[in-house]
Amino acid sequence: MEDKSYSSIAADGFWNNNAVFAQLLGMCPLLAVTSTAENGIAMGLASMVVLIGANFVVSLIRHWIPREVRIPAYIVVIASFVTVVDLTMNAYVHDLHKTLGLFIPLIVVNCAILGRAEAFASKTTPARAAFDGVMTGLGFTFALFVLGAVREVIGMGTIFGVSIFGGDYIPVLMMILPPGAFIALGFILAGVRIINDRREAKRQAKPHPVENLQVQEASA
Amino acid sequence: MKDVAKMALILGAVGVVATGILAGVEQATRGPIQEAVRQEILAGLTVVLPPFDNAPDQDTVELAIGDPAGGTRTVYRARIGKEVVGAAFVETAPDGYSGRIDILMGVTAAGVLSGIRVVQHAETPGLGDKIVLDHAWVDFFKGKALGNPDEAHWKVKKDGGIFDQFTGATITPRAVVKAVKHGLDEFQSHRLTILGIHN
Repeated sequence: MEDKSYSSIAADGFWNNNAVFAQLLGMCPLLAVTSTAENGIAMGLASMVVLIGANFVVSLIRHWIPREVRIPAYIVVIASFVTVVDLTMNAYVHDLHKTLGLFIPLIVVNCAILGRAEAFASKTTPARAAFDGVMTGLGFTFALFVLGAVREVIGMGTIFGVSIFGGDYIPVLMMILPPGAFIALGFILAGVRIINDRREAKRQAKPHPVENLQVQEASA
Repeated sequence: MKDVAKMALILGAVGVVATGILAGVEQATRGPIQEAVRQEILAGLTVVLPPFDNAPDQDTVELAIGDPAGGTRTVYRARIGKEVVGAAFVETAPDGYSGRIDILMGVTAAGVLSGIRVVQHAETPGLGDKIVLDHAWVDFFKGKALGNPDEAHWKVKKDGGIFDQFTGATITPRAVVKAVKHGLDEFQSHRLTILGIHN
C-alpha cells in the first residue's frame, strides 16, 4: 500500500474506483444537491476540501491512533473539516452557502470520505493520502457535475442557469425532483459500465495478435 | 485496562485539538459571517423598500409581527430625512409545501406593498422555488394593498383570487399570498407604532 504509485492513485480515485460510479458511495449528497450542475460542482468541491484535509490528517496521526478507536477519531477529524468548510463558506461565499447550507453538514456522513480515511489514508504517507483526496474529490465532483448537468438540462432546459433549448422546451420536472436523481444515476451508471466494458475489451484485444489472425483467416 | 485508559486519552486528545481548531476558525469567521448576513439584509431591504436615505438595519423596532408562533420580529424602518416612508419585516408562512417560508416584505407608510422577497424556504427546486426565481410573479405583489384587491381576491387564481399559481405547485404560492396578506393586516395594526406617531 505504501508504494502505490501516484498515477494509479489518480486513475483509481478519478475513474476506476470512483466514489460514485464504482463504489456507489456518497449517495446522500449526490441525490440531494444535484438538481443543477452548479450545485453539483460546489458540493463536489466542498467534499473535496474535506477529503484532502481529512485524508492528510488521518494519515499524519495514523501511528498514534489505536485500531479500536480509529473510527470515532476519524469521524472527529472529518467533522472538524466539515465545520471549517461550513463556516468558511458561510463567511466568504454566503450566497452559495445559502443554497447548499443544509447539505454541507451532511458531508460528515458521506461514507466515501470515511471510506478513504479507513481504506487508504490510514495506511499510507500524508502526501499520498492528500493526493488521493484530490483525485477522489475530483472524481466525486465530476460525478456530481455529470448528474447535476443531466438533471438540469432535462429538468429545467438550462445548463449553469443558461437556457439551451429556447422557450419551446417543456422541462421534465421530475428530473429535478428526488426520483429524477435515481433515474438519471441509473442511466449514467449504465453508461459508465458500457465505457468500462469497451475499454476492457480493447485492453484485452491489444496484446493478443490472435484476433488479427482470425481476421486474416476470415478474409482469406 | 491500561489500554482502555490510553485509548480514552488519545480520543480525548483528538477531541481537544479539534475543539481548539474549531474555536479558532469560529473566531476568525464570526466577523465576516456577521458582515455577510448584514449585507444580505441590506441588499434585501434595498429591494423591497421604497427609496430611503437612512440605514434601515440600524433603525428598527421589535414588534409582535410576522411570527406565527407569536414572538417578536425586527421591523426595519426606511426614512427620507426624518419621515418614515416605509418599513420592512420578515413574515413567516408556516404552511409551505416543505416547512416554513420566510418572506421579507416592504410596505410604504400608506400601507402599500413596495416589494417582497423570499429569504428562506425549503420548497421543491424547479417547482415551488419559483417564488424566488420568477421575478414577474414576485413583482406582481408591488402596489398591492389591503383592499387592492379586495379581501375575496387576495388568493391564488385556483382559489378565486388574482395571484398566479405555478404549474404543478399551488401550495407554495398559496402560502406566500396568505402570509403577505396576513403581514399587511399586521402592519395595519402596528402602523402608528412603526411610523413613530405614537409608541
